[in-house]
Amino acid sequence: MREETAKGKCVTAAVAAGFDTFPRLLARNAATLGDRPAMRHKDYGIWQTWTWKEVNENARALAIELHGLGLKRGDTIAIIGANRPRLYWTMMAAQMLGAVSVPVYADAVADEMAYVLAHAEIGIAVVQDQEQVDKLLGESERLPLIRHILYDEPRGLKDYDHSRLHPLDAFIARGISRLADRAQRALLDAEIAAGKGSETSVMLYTSGTTGRSKGVMLTAERCIAAATDSVALDKLTDRDEVLAYLPMAWVGDHYMNYAQGLVSGFCMSCPESAETVQSDLREIGPSFYFAPPRVFESLLTRVMIRMEDASALKRAMFHYFIGIARKYGEKLLNGEPVPLGGRLLYAIGNLLVYGPLKNVLGFSRIRVGYTAGEAIGPELFSFYRSLGINLKQLYGQTEAFLYITVQVDGDVRADTVGPLAPHVEVRFSETGEVLFKSPGMFTGYFKDEERTHEVLAADGFIKTGDAGFIDPVSGHLKIIDRAKDVGRLTGGALFPPKYIENKLKFFPNIKEAVAFGDGRDYATCFINIDLSAVGNWAERNGISYGSYQELAGHPRVYEIIAGHVAEVNRSLAQEPRMGGAQIRRFLILHKELDADDGELTRTQKVRRGFVAGRYAVLIDALYSGATEQDVTTEVTFEDGRKGTISARVRIAEAKTFPWRDEPARQDEAA
Amino acid sequence: MTNERERRQSNDIILAVEDVTLSFGGVRAITGVSFDIRKGEIRAIIGPNGAGKTSMLNVINGFYFPEEGRITFRGQTRQRMRPHVAASQGIARTFQNVALFKGMTTLDNIMVGRTLKMHKGLFWQIWRHGPALAEEVEHRKVAEEIIDFLEIQHIRKTPVGRLPYGLQKRVELGRALAMEPDLLLLDEPMAGMNLEEKEDMSRFIVDVNNQYGTTIALIEHDIGVVMDLSDRIVVLEYGRKIADGKPEVVKSDQRVIDAYLGVAH
Repeated sequence: MREETAKGKCVTAAVAAGFDTFPRLLARNAATLGDRPAMRHKDYGIWQTWTWKEVNENARALAIELHGLGLKRGDTIAIIGANRPRLYWTMMAAQMLGAVSVPVYADAVADEMAYVLAHAEIGIAVVQDQEQVDKLLGESERLPLIRHILYDEPRGLKDYDHSRLHPLDAFIARGISRLADRAQRALLDAEIAAGKGSETSVMLYTSGTTGRSKGVMLTAERCIAAATDSVALDKLTDRDEVLAYLPMAWVGDHYMNYAQGLVSGFCMSCPESAETVQSDLREIGPSFYFAPPRVFESLLTRVMIRMEDASALKRAMFHYFIGIARKYGEKLLNGEPVPLGGRLLYAIGNLLVYGPLKNVLGFSRIRVGYTAGEAIGPELFSFYRSLGINLKQLYGQTEAFLYITVQVDGDVRADTVGPLAPHVEVRFSETGEVLFKSPGMFTGYFKDEERTHEVLAADGFIKTGDAGFIDPVSGHLKIIDRAKDVGRLTGGALFPPKYIENKLKFFPNIKEAVAFGDGRDYATCFINIDLSAVGNWAERNGISYGSYQELAGHPRVYEIIAGHVAEVNRSLAQEPRMGGAQIRRFLILHKELDADDGELTRTQKVRRGFVAGRYAVLIDALYSGATEQDVTTEVTFEDGRKGTISARVRIAEAKTFPWRDEPARQDEAA
Repeated sequence: MTNERERRQSNDIILAVEDVTLSFGGVRAITGVSFDIRKGEIRAIIGPNGAGKTSMLNVINGFYFPEEGRITFRGQTRQRMRPHVAASQGIARTFQNVALFKGMTTLDNIMVGRTLKMHKGLFWQIWRHGPALAEEVEHRKVAEEIIDFLEIQHIRKTPVGRLPYGLQKRVELGRALAMEPDLLLLDEPMAGMNLEEKEDMSRFIVDVNNQYGTTIALIEHDIGVVMDLSDRIVVLEYGRKIADGKPEVVKSDQRVIDAYLGVAH
């Protein structure tokens, strides 16, 4: 793969001057990479391919027809559907006319979609299929501005009123014949030439955690500048391949696939359907890949479960070589010295286990892989890296046009999000919030001055809403929590609950943790043990137990968990500003937190406030110095009946460690 | 939309059943039933258990021979008919209990539906070369269109025995569609499905009718589904026809209400 990369034309150097809009990049690619594949889509069971020349022609045809429908410079056009070449072409076509494309989440319910379309003042919507057409027609009262709807898949739409509905393929065909006329070509060329890099080229709606979603306006030149930096960083060329399976409305797709694709000239493949992504991945074998941590997690679980069913010999071989990979794999990837014997064993393992495994997962050709969005467990992260997959982390935001920090090859860590991306500046507010300036940064929220001002600091930096710090050892950024969730202990030390909980949850024995400490003297926490992991341990050690409650209260289980808590405290003590948040006292809850009892959300996130209220007596006990506490809790059984469980919960002291920036006046050491 | 559909339906009768009587030994399964199916419509046959619905479908596709009465399909009147002749004349069906080849993949099951349309001899097929290969490619294309249409790309290569019931039903519909039938007989296409699967299946049935103009006769127990889907409904009870007409007419027919809800005798 590396050889091939070296051979590939490195077009990135040419970006610097002149190519400041996406249509110009497209024209350049059509001219310089004409017959190289630009896009693929699996349709009717076969990968259909379009070259850069063909993509350019199709996009131009669409552009001239959209011009005919009255799409003008500065207008908005919605794009709704799964990743389809025609939808990407529409994006390009709109940009040729200076219009702003607004990709919308296809799985949004009609009401949400109507809000976005109305807010973005959409006049023309380009959609994938009948489902989306129905949503738009159903909300037509709220969307009086929509004049035309174009669709990609005609199924089920035959009998619809076609006065405002148009099939995309007929549209493209008509456009191609229209462009045979010199005057029409000149008209389109003039439109492209009139385009300016400083114009908004795309608007991405972010799902606001509070309130309605906001339209993030991004200009072409900034998008291209940002993508140029990362293309150079990861040395992407027209020989690279990606599978575009992330929602088109998400910044990740627009950045990694669309912008990087146009800048580097790599080939972007669209899966056949959402359900076939895994097998499409295997067929395409992308060289650049992004997935959120939960995808990697579920893949690993599937592999492990299937290995459990394998024959004893295969299982033994798998586990032996995975052990070898853990020992040497990451070192090899980082280019660190490894003894010859280790190299040899790793090579055999690669032949017998890692290679076939990567092939099944579709990861054989990955040269650069990214994960982001949430904390990834160090075990999980190094598992993939040890197989020789160059998985890295990045940290970004829609408002930044993605990259704020990104890990570089050879300097990758599970617990940081990497050093600053090229040309990005970062500073921290007094509360620890991360602020940045980046090449791709947005120009504002559409029609929302007020909220634009809220995130824009006076010096032009943008607030991320996340709290973090630069790790002094590695120089990488560490994100600890949402800034608004970071509390303070009475002594003034920072208290980031989620950061602490995540550290605890990385231990397989701990399923859930809830930390307390905001406005208190010290930090404490509730722990839920993982019944399968701890149960397994109990079985191996001859400890019998009748229920979760009994196992949770077992003194030896307390010992194990105390060890984990001490481990977390040790790592907190080593980090700047985190040492004060070490856990002083903890308890293991007598029942598992459950969504049926309202303790977790349906997506399995802890509802901190609710839990604090429900177990107020336990929290009081954590801070009163008591060593045990009786508690009675109402529970809901699966059939809806209610019952109560009572328990005497033991409260344990945790080992704490001295930390560097410990205030001098604090004399009590660990 | 309904107007459009009505417009496309002609008054041409594709199949007429006249005075059909069928008995097994001394048991009369169907007694003197007549009705017709118009080209392009969705025609439902409903009735309580044992009313003779499946027997009726079996008579239509030639599996049973009626003792009395005639069946006219596309202008040809017949009394005896073999299932494979019915199939080659353009009648396809699905079964109440899924009847797929469980060990074969979705794709292969659908390709089986193309058998009657394969013309190259065994010699060419053995070598899988030249005209036979070209023919297979053509058939594969049709199969892929059906896979796309029914949104079953993700199970293309999965043995059907491993699929959940709702998907198996969909594959069975796919195999019937592979015959490119003029008349499609569906025997309880939604039996044993949950609400979501029923909605999906209803949409596929309407889409088949809409897209390919296929005439559909279906048996179904879910009255709500039948009323929504069909253009006209025949109601059978104890082997006799008790009502025939548009859903709103049938729904308010006293004999139908009695048959379904039961009356005090």
